[in-house]
Amino acid sequence: MKGNLKIKDLVTIGVFAVIYFIVMFAVGMMGMIPILFLVYPTVLGIVGGTIVMLFMAKVQKPWALFIFGILSPLIMFAMGHTYVLALHGIIVMLIAEMIRRMGGYNSFKYNMFAYAIFNTWICGSLMQMLLAKEKYMELSMMMGEDYAYAIEKLITYPHMALVYLGAIIGGIIGAYIGKALLKKHFSKAGIA
Amino acid sequence: MELQKNNKLNPNPITKLFVVGLLGITVVNSIHPIFEWLIILIISIMFMINGFKKDAINNVIVFAIFFIVPNFEALSHLPILIKIFLSLLFVLRMFYIPYIAGKFLIKTSDVGSIISSMDALKIPQAISIPVAVMFRFFPSFVEEKNNIKMALKIRGLNTKNPFKYLEYVAVPLLIISSNIADDISKAAETKAIANPIKKTRYIKVHVGAIDFIYAIIILGAVVGGWICLK
Repeated sequence: MKGNLKIKDLVTIGVFAVIYFIVMFAVGMMGMIPILFLVYPTVLGIVGGTIVMLFMAKVQKPWALFIFGILSPLIMFAMGHTYVLALHGIIVMLIAEMIRRMGGYNSFKYNMFAYAIFNTWICGSLMQMLLAKEKYMELSMMMGEDYAYAIEKLITYPHMALVYLGAIIGGIIGAYIGKALLKKHFSKAGIA
Repeated sequence: MELQKNNKLNPNPITKLFVVGLLGITVVNSIHPIFEWLIILIISIMFMINGFKKDAINNVIVFAIFFIVPNFEALSHLPILIKIFLSLLFVLRMFYIPYIAGKFLIKTSDVGSIISSMDALKIPQAISIPVAVMFRFFPSFVEEKNNIKMALKIRGLNTKNPFKYLEYVAVPLLIISSNIADDISKAAETKAIANPIKKTRYIKVHVGAIDFIYAIIILGAVVGGWICLK
Protein backbone atom coordinates (compact mmCIF):
# COMPACT_ATOMS: atom_id res chain seq x y z
CA MET A 1 0.00 0.00 0.00
CA LYS A 2 2.76 2.43 0.87
CA GLY A 3 5.03 4.08 -1.61
CA ASN A 4 5.03 7.05 -3.89
CA LEU A 5 1.96 8.58 -5.38
CA LYS A 6 1.04 7.04 -8.71
CA ILE A 7 -0.95 8.67 -11.51
CA LYS A 8 -4.06 6.92 -10.27
CA ASP A 9 -3.70 8.52 -6.85
CA LEU A 10 -3.10 11.94 -8.35
CA VAL A 11 -6.26 11.62 -10.44
CA THR A 12 -8.19 10.55 -7.35
CA ILE A 13 -6.89 13.62 -5.54
CA GLY A 14 -8.16 15.85 -8.35
CA VAL A 15 -11.59 14.23 -8.44
CA PHE A 16 -12.11 14.41 -4.69
CA ALA A 17 -10.84 17.97 -4.62
CA VAL A 18 -13.65 18.95 -7.01
CA ILE A 19 -16.25 17.30 -4.77
CA TYR A 20 -14.82 18.94 -1.66
CA PHE A 21 -14.67 22.30 -3.38
CA ILE A 22 -18.30 22.15 -4.49
CA VAL A 23 -19.47 21.08 -1.04
CA MET A 24 -17.43 23.91 0.44
CA PHE A 25 -19.16 26.45 -1.77
CA ALA A 26 -22.60 25.00 -1.11
CA VAL A 27 -22.02 25.25 2.63
CA GLY A 28 -20.42 28.66 2.15
CA MET A 29 -23.72 30.10 0.99
CA MET A 30 -24.68 30.33 4.67
CA GLY A 31 -21.78 32.74 5.15
CA MET A 32 -24.01 35.30 3.46
CA ILE A 33 -25.29 36.11 6.96
CA PRO A 34 -22.15 37.47 8.59
CA ILE A 35 -22.70 36.10 12.10
CA LEU A 36 -23.16 32.56 10.82
CA PHE A 37 -19.74 32.84 9.26
CA LEU A 38 -18.33 32.09 12.68
CA VAL A 39 -19.87 28.60 12.77
CA TYR A 40 -19.13 27.93 9.12
CA PRO A 41 -15.96 25.91 9.87
CA THR A 42 -17.92 23.62 12.19
CA VAL A 43 -20.66 22.94 9.64
CA LEU A 44 -18.13 22.40 6.87
CA GLY A 45 -16.35 19.86 9.08
CA ILE A 46 -19.53 17.88 9.63
CA VAL A 47 -20.59 17.89 5.98
CA GLY A 48 -17.14 17.38 4.46
CA GLY A 49 -16.17 14.55 6.79
CA THR A 50 -17.49 11.77 4.59
CA ILE A 51 -15.62 12.99 1.52
CA VAL A 52 -12.27 13.36 3.22
CA MET A 53 -12.56 10.13 5.20
CA LEU A 54 -13.40 8.20 2.04
CA PHE A 55 -10.48 9.87 0.32
CA MET A 56 -8.14 8.90 3.14
CA ALA A 57 -9.43 5.32 3.04
CA LYS A 58 -8.85 5.19 -0.71
CA VAL A 59 -5.38 6.71 -0.91
CA GLN A 60 -3.22 5.53 1.98
CA LYS A 61 0.01 7.11 0.89
CA PRO A 62 2.35 9.81 2.12
CA TRP A 63 1.58 13.39 1.02
CA ALA A 64 -1.80 12.52 -0.48
CA LEU A 65 -3.70 14.48 2.16
CA PHE A 66 -1.27 17.38 1.88
CA ILE A 67 -1.76 17.76 -1.87
CA PHE A 68 -5.51 17.27 -1.56
CA GLY A 69 -5.61 19.90 1.15
CA ILE A 70 -3.58 22.64 -0.50
CA LEU A 71 -5.60 22.55 -3.73
CA SER A 72 -8.60 24.37 -2.29
CA PRO A 73 -6.61 27.22 -0.68
CA LEU A 74 -4.55 27.62 -3.84
CA ILE A 75 -7.63 27.87 -6.04
CA MET A 76 -9.23 30.30 -3.60
CA PHE A 77 -6.02 32.31 -3.78
CA ALA A 78 -6.28 32.43 -7.56
CA MET A 79 -9.86 33.60 -7.16
CA GLY A 80 -8.82 36.62 -5.16
CA HIS A 81 -8.29 35.68 -1.53
CA THR A 82 -5.16 37.02 0.11
CA TYR A 83 -1.83 35.26 0.54
CA VAL A 84 -2.81 34.74 4.20
CA LEU A 85 -5.22 31.99 3.24
CA ALA A 86 -2.69 30.17 1.05
CA LEU A 87 0.12 30.28 3.65
CA HIS A 88 -2.22 29.30 6.47
CA GLY A 89 -3.50 26.41 4.36
CA ILE A 90 -0.03 25.06 3.68
CA ILE A 91 0.93 25.15 7.38
CA VAL A 92 -2.31 23.46 8.47
CA MET A 93 -1.93 20.74 5.85
CA LEU A 94 1.65 20.03 6.92
CA ILE A 95 0.47 19.46 10.50
CA ALA A 96 -2.40 17.25 9.33
CA GLU A 97 -0.03 15.24 7.14
CA MET A 98 2.35 14.72 10.08
CA ILE A 99 -0.49 13.48 12.30
CA ARG A 100 -1.57 11.08 9.61
CA ARG A 101 1.99 9.85 9.25
CA MET A 102 2.13 9.01 12.96
CA GLY A 103 -0.84 6.66 12.54
CA GLY A 104 0.69 4.93 9.55
CA TYR A 105 -2.00 6.29 7.18
CA ASN A 106 -4.64 3.68 8.00
CA SER A 107 -5.52 4.11 11.66
CA PHE A 108 -8.95 5.65 12.14
CA LYS A 109 -7.94 7.51 15.28
CA TYR A 110 -5.05 9.36 13.65
CA ASN A 111 -6.98 9.94 10.44
CA MET A 112 -9.75 11.46 12.50
CA PHE A 113 -7.38 13.90 14.22
CA ALA A 114 -5.69 14.63 10.92
CA TYR A 115 -9.08 15.53 9.48
CA ALA A 116 -9.95 17.68 12.49
CA ILE A 117 -6.77 19.68 11.92
CA PHE A 118 -7.29 19.65 8.15
CA ASN A 119 -10.66 21.26 8.72
CA THR A 120 -9.16 24.34 10.34
CA TRP A 121 -7.75 25.56 7.02
CA ILE A 122 -10.97 27.42 6.33
CA CYS A 123 -10.34 29.56 9.43
CA GLY A 124 -7.68 31.24 7.29
CA SER A 125 -10.41 33.19 5.56
CA LEU A 126 -11.40 34.61 8.94
CA MET A 127 -7.78 35.21 9.85
CA GLN A 128 -7.41 37.50 6.87
CA MET A 129 -10.38 39.45 8.21
CA LEU A 130 -8.50 39.85 11.46
CA LEU A 131 -5.47 41.20 9.66
CA ALA A 132 -7.61 43.58 7.65
CA LYS A 133 -9.49 44.66 10.76
CA GLU A 134 -8.44 48.30 10.70
CA LYS A 135 -9.82 48.86 7.25
CA TYR A 136 -13.00 47.03 8.15
CA MET A 137 -13.43 49.13 11.29
CA GLU A 138 -13.00 52.28 9.28
CA LEU A 139 -15.83 51.24 6.98
CA SER A 140 -18.01 50.10 9.87
CA MET A 141 -17.76 53.51 11.52
CA MET A 142 -20.14 54.79 8.84
CA MET A 143 -22.87 52.67 10.40
CA GLY A 144 -22.64 54.35 13.77
CA GLU A 145 -20.09 53.99 16.52
CA ASP A 146 -22.06 51.54 18.66
CA TYR A 147 -22.14 49.08 15.84
CA ALA A 148 -18.45 49.48 15.11
CA TYR A 149 -17.54 48.79 18.72
CA ALA A 150 -19.76 45.72 18.77
CA ILE A 151 -17.92 44.44 15.72
CA GLU A 152 -14.57 45.28 17.23
CA LYS A 153 -15.42 43.21 20.28
CA LEU A 154 -16.48 40.32 18.10
CA ILE A 155 -13.39 40.04 15.95
CA THR A 156 -10.60 39.28 18.40
CA TYR A 157 -7.95 36.61 18.78
CA PRO A 158 -9.65 34.78 21.69
CA HIS A 159 -12.80 34.52 19.60
CA MET A 160 -10.76 33.18 16.73
CA ALA A 161 -9.53 30.44 19.07
CA LEU A 162 -13.16 29.48 19.64
CA VAL A 163 -13.70 29.30 15.89
CA TYR A 164 -10.69 26.99 15.62
CA LEU A 165 -12.07 24.85 18.42
CA GLY A 166 -15.41 24.73 16.60
CA ALA A 167 -13.65 23.61 13.44
CA ILE A 168 -11.87 20.80 15.29
CA ILE A 169 -15.06 19.60 16.99
CA GLY A 170 -16.92 19.76 13.67
CA GLY A 171 -14.10 17.77 12.11
CA ILE A 172 -14.35 15.02 14.71
CA ILE A 173 -18.14 14.77 14.32
CA GLY A 174 -17.76 14.71 10.55
CA ALA A 175 -15.14 11.98 10.78
CA TYR A 176 -17.51 9.79 12.82
CA ILE A 177 -20.36 10.36 10.35
CA GLY A 178 -17.93 9.52 7.58
CA LYS A 179 -16.91 6.33 9.36
CA ALA A 180 -20.54 5.27 9.78
CA LEU A 181 -21.29 5.90 6.11
CA LEU A 182 -18.12 4.13 5.05
CA LYS A 183 -19.20 1.06 6.97
CA LYS A 184 -22.78 1.23 5.75
CA HIS A 185 -22.17 1.82 2.05
CA PHE A 186 -18.68 2.05 0.75
CA SER A 187 -17.07 -1.10 2.10
CA LYS A 188 -20.05 -3.02 0.69
CA ALA A 189 -19.45 -1.47 -2.71
CA GLY A 190 -15.81 -2.44 -2.46
CA ILE A 191 -14.50 1.11 -2.66
CA ALA A 192 -13.08 1.87 0.73
CA MET B 1 -14.13 29.50 -24.14
CA GLU B 2 -13.61 30.96 -27.55
CA LEU B 3 -10.15 32.38 -27.30
CA GLN B 4 -7.83 33.01 -30.15
CA LYS B 5 -4.64 31.11 -29.82
CA ASN B 6 -1.64 33.16 -28.79
CA ASN B 7 -3.77 36.21 -28.40
CA LYS B 8 -1.44 39.21 -28.20
CA LEU B 9 -3.79 41.08 -25.90
CA ASN B 10 -4.21 38.33 -23.33
CA PRO B 11 -1.48 38.17 -20.68
CA ASN B 12 -0.33 34.70 -19.71
CA PRO B 13 -1.70 33.05 -16.55
CA ILE B 14 1.53 33.58 -14.61
CA THR B 15 1.26 37.34 -14.98
CA LYS B 16 -2.38 37.27 -14.02
CA LEU B 17 -1.70 35.19 -10.94
CA PHE B 18 1.09 37.57 -9.94
CA VAL B 19 -1.34 40.47 -10.20
CA VAL B 20 -3.95 38.65 -8.09
CA GLY B 21 -1.36 38.02 -5.38
CA LEU B 22 -0.18 41.62 -5.50
CA LEU B 23 -3.69 42.99 -5.20
CA GLY B 24 -4.33 40.59 -2.32
CA ILE B 25 -1.87 42.64 -0.30
CA THR B 26 -4.07 45.70 -0.72
CA VAL B 27 -6.73 44.07 1.46
CA VAL B 28 -4.44 44.32 4.46
CA ASN B 29 -2.53 47.49 3.57
CA SER B 30 -5.05 49.87 2.14
CA ILE B 31 -4.16 52.15 -0.76
CA HIS B 32 -5.46 55.52 -1.88
CA PRO B 33 -9.01 55.45 -3.36
CA ILE B 34 -7.90 57.12 -6.58
CA PHE B 35 -5.45 54.31 -7.19
CA GLU B 36 -8.15 51.78 -6.38
CA TRP B 37 -10.20 53.30 -9.16
CA LEU B 38 -7.17 53.22 -11.45
CA ILE B 39 -6.77 49.49 -10.85
CA ILE B 40 -10.47 48.86 -11.44
CA LEU B 41 -10.33 50.79 -14.71
CA ILE B 42 -7.23 48.93 -15.89
CA ILE B 43 -8.89 45.58 -15.24
CA SER B 44 -11.99 46.81 -17.07
CA ILE B 45 -9.85 47.78 -20.02
CA MET B 46 -8.23 44.35 -19.94
CA PHE B 47 -11.68 42.75 -19.98
CA MET B 48 -12.68 45.05 -22.85
CA ILE B 49 -9.75 44.29 -25.14
CA ASN B 50 -10.22 40.58 -24.53
CA GLY B 51 -13.80 40.78 -25.70
CA PHE B 52 -15.66 40.60 -22.38
CA LYS B 53 -17.55 43.89 -22.75
CA LYS B 54 -20.29 43.03 -20.28
CA ASP B 55 -17.82 42.12 -17.54
CA ALA B 56 -15.90 45.33 -18.11
CA ILE B 57 -19.00 47.47 -17.59
CA ASN B 58 -20.31 45.42 -14.66
CA ASN B 59 -16.95 45.74 -12.96
CA VAL B 60 -17.08 49.53 -12.93
CA ILE B 61 -20.72 49.67 -11.85
CA VAL B 62 -20.34 47.16 -9.03
CA PHE B 63 -17.28 48.88 -7.65
CA ALA B 64 -19.03 52.24 -7.86
CA ILE B 65 -21.88 50.84 -5.75
CA PHE B 66 -19.46 49.46 -3.18
CA PHE B 67 -17.60 52.73 -3.19
CA ILE B 68 -20.58 55.01 -2.71
CA VAL B 69 -22.88 53.06 -0.38
CA PRO B 70 -20.83 53.21 2.86
CA ASN B 71 -20.72 57.00 2.64
CA PHE B 72 -24.37 57.67 3.40
CA GLU B 73 -25.01 59.25 6.78
CA ALA B 74 -28.46 57.68 6.97
CA LEU B 75 -26.96 54.23 7.38
CA SER B 76 -26.16 54.78 11.03
CA HIS B 77 -29.86 55.11 11.87
CA LEU B 78 -30.92 51.78 10.42
CA PRO B 79 -31.98 48.90 12.68
CA ILE B 80 -29.23 46.51 13.73
CA LEU B 81 -30.41 43.56 11.61
CA ILE B 82 -30.14 45.51 8.39
CA LYS B 83 -26.73 46.71 9.52
CA ILE B 84 -25.57 43.13 9.87
CA PHE B 85 -26.60 42.46 6.30
CA LEU B 86 -24.99 45.64 5.07
CA SER B 87 -21.74 44.78 6.77
CA LEU B 88 -21.45 41.92 4.29
CA LEU B 89 -21.28 44.62 1.65
CA PHE B 90 -18.21 46.04 3.42
CA VAL B 91 -16.52 42.67 3.44
CA LEU B 92 -17.22 42.32 -0.27
CA ARG B 93 -15.90 45.81 -0.91
CA MET B 94 -12.62 45.00 0.83
CA PHE B 95 -12.09 41.85 -1.16
CA TYR B 96 -13.47 43.15 -4.43
CA ILE B 97 -10.22 44.26 -6.05
CA PRO B 98 -8.34 40.96 -5.72
CA TYR B 99 -11.58 39.16 -6.53
CA ILE B 100 -12.01 40.92 -9.86
CA ALA B 101 -8.39 40.23 -10.78
CA GLY B 102 -9.05 36.57 -9.95
CA LYS B 103 -12.15 36.61 -12.12
CA PHE B 104 -10.07 38.00 -14.95
CA LEU B 105 -7.58 35.17 -14.44
CA ILE B 106 -10.23 32.43 -14.45
CA LYS B 107 -12.37 33.85 -17.25
CA THR B 108 -9.69 34.56 -19.80
CA SER B 109 -7.39 31.58 -19.30
CA ASP B 110 -8.10 28.24 -20.90
CA VAL B 111 -7.06 24.96 -19.34
CA GLY B 112 -4.27 24.36 -21.83
CA SER B 113 -2.50 27.60 -21.09
CA ILE B 114 -2.88 27.13 -17.33
CA ILE B 115 -1.26 23.71 -17.55
CA SER B 116 1.57 24.82 -19.77
CA SER B 117 2.25 27.78 -17.50
CA MET B 118 2.46 25.37 -14.58
CA ASP B 119 5.08 23.55 -16.64
CA ALA B 120 6.93 26.79 -17.18
CA LEU B 121 6.92 27.47 -13.44
CA LYS B 122 8.34 23.96 -12.88
CA ILE B 123 5.45 22.98 -10.63
CA PRO B 124 5.78 19.24 -9.89
CA GLN B 125 3.41 16.74 -11.50
CA ALA B 126 1.96 15.98 -8.09
CA ILE B 127 0.22 19.38 -8.21
CA SER B 128 -0.31 19.90 -11.92
CA ILE B 129 -2.05 16.58 -12.60
CA PRO B 130 -4.71 17.05 -9.89
CA VAL B 131 -5.36 20.59 -11.13
CA ALA B 132 -5.78 19.37 -14.70
CA VAL B 133 -8.09 16.62 -13.49
CA MET B 134 -10.17 19.16 -11.60
CA PHE B 135 -10.87 21.05 -14.81
CA ARG B 136 -11.64 17.84 -16.65
CA PHE B 137 -13.89 16.43 -13.92
CA PHE B 138 -15.92 19.52 -13.07
CA PRO B 139 -18.48 19.26 -15.91
CA SER B 140 -18.99 15.53 -15.49
CA PHE B 141 -19.57 16.02 -11.78
CA VAL B 142 -22.46 18.41 -12.47
CA GLU B 143 -23.86 15.98 -15.03
CA GLU B 144 -23.75 13.05 -12.60
CA LYS B 145 -25.37 15.09 -9.86
CA ASN B 146 -28.27 15.97 -12.13
CA ASN B 147 -28.63 12.32 -13.13
CA ILE B 148 -28.85 11.24 -9.50
CA LYS B 149 -31.43 13.91 -8.75
CA MET B 150 -33.50 12.76 -11.70
CA ALA B 151 -33.27 9.15 -10.57
CA LEU B 152 -34.49 10.18 -7.12
CA LYS B 153 -37.43 12.00 -8.69
CA ILE B 154 -38.37 9.00 -10.84
CA ARG B 155 -38.53 6.82 -7.75
CA GLY B 156 -40.54 9.44 -5.91
CA LEU B 157 -37.88 10.12 -3.29
CA ASN B 158 -38.31 13.83 -2.79
CA THR B 159 -36.78 14.21 0.63
CA LYS B 160 -36.22 17.58 2.19
CA ASN B 161 -34.54 16.17 5.28
CA PRO B 162 -30.94 17.34 4.94
CA PHE B 163 -29.42 14.23 6.52
CA LYS B 164 -31.38 11.87 4.29
CA TYR B 165 -30.54 14.09 1.34
CA LEU B 166 -26.87 13.87 2.19
CA GLU B 167 -27.04 10.11 2.28
CA TYR B 168 -29.17 9.68 -0.84
CA VAL B 169 -27.24 12.09 -3.03
CA ALA B 170 -23.75 12.16 -1.58
CA VAL B 171 -23.21 8.41 -1.31
CA PRO B 172 -23.98 7.50 -4.94
CA LEU B 173 -22.14 10.61 -6.03
CA LEU B 174 -19.01 9.57 -4.17
CA ILE B 175 -19.20 6.04 -5.53
CA ILE B 176 -19.65 7.23 -9.10
CA SER B 177 -16.87 9.77 -8.67
CA SER B 178 -14.38 7.23 -7.47
CA ASN B 179 -15.25 5.02 -10.43
CA ILE B 180 -14.76 7.98 -12.76
CA ALA B 181 -11.41 8.61 -11.09
CA ASP B 182 -10.36 5.09 -12.02
CA ASP B 183 -11.56 5.61 -15.60
CA ILE B 184 -9.73 8.91 -16.00
CA SER B 185 -6.51 7.41 -14.71
CA LYS B 186 -6.78 4.51 -17.14
CA ALA B 187 -7.36 6.94 -20.01
CA ALA B 188 -4.42 9.04 -18.87
CA GLU B 189 -2.16 6.00 -18.60
CA THR B 190 -2.99 5.00 -22.17
CA LYS B 191 -1.94 8.45 -23.28
CA ALA B 192 1.42 7.88 -21.59
CA ILE B 193 1.07 10.49 -18.87
CA ALA B 194 3.63 8.65 -16.74
CA ASN B 195 6.28 8.94 -19.44
CA PRO B 196 9.06 10.86 -17.72
CA ILE B 197 10.32 12.81 -20.77
CA LYS B 198 9.62 16.49 -21.31
CA LYS B 199 6.20 16.98 -22.82
CA THR B 200 5.27 19.22 -25.71
CA ARG B 201 2.07 21.17 -25.21
CA TYR B 202 -0.48 22.17 -27.80
CA ILE B 203 -0.67 25.65 -26.34
CA LYS B 204 2.58 27.40 -25.47
CA VAL B 205 2.93 30.21 -23.00
CA HIS B 206 4.53 33.36 -24.35
CA VAL B 207 5.78 36.40 -22.54
CA GLY B 208 4.67 39.37 -24.59
CA ALA B 209 4.54 43.12 -24.25
CA ILE B 210 1.07 42.94 -22.69
CA ASP B 211 2.45 40.96 -19.74
CA PHE B 212 4.91 43.68 -18.86
CA ILE B 213 2.39 46.45 -19.40
CA TYR B 214 -0.26 44.80 -17.25
CA ALA B 215 2.09 43.80 -14.42
CA ILE B 216 4.00 47.07 -14.29
CA ILE B 217 0.93 49.34 -14.36
CA ILE B 218 -0.69 47.40 -11.52
CA LEU B 219 2.56 47.33 -9.55
CA GLY B 220 2.90 51.06 -10.09
CA ALA B 221 -0.68 51.66 -8.97
CA VAL B 222 -0.25 49.64 -5.78
CA VAL B 223 3.05 51.23 -4.83
CA GLY B 224 1.79 54.67 -5.78
CA GLY B 225 -1.30 54.12 -3.65
CA TRP B 226 0.79 53.33 -0.61
CA ILE B 227 2.99 56.33 -1.03
CA CYS B 228 0.04 58.67 -1.48
CA LEU B 229 -1.64 57.41 1.67
CA LYS B 230 1.40 57.94 3.86
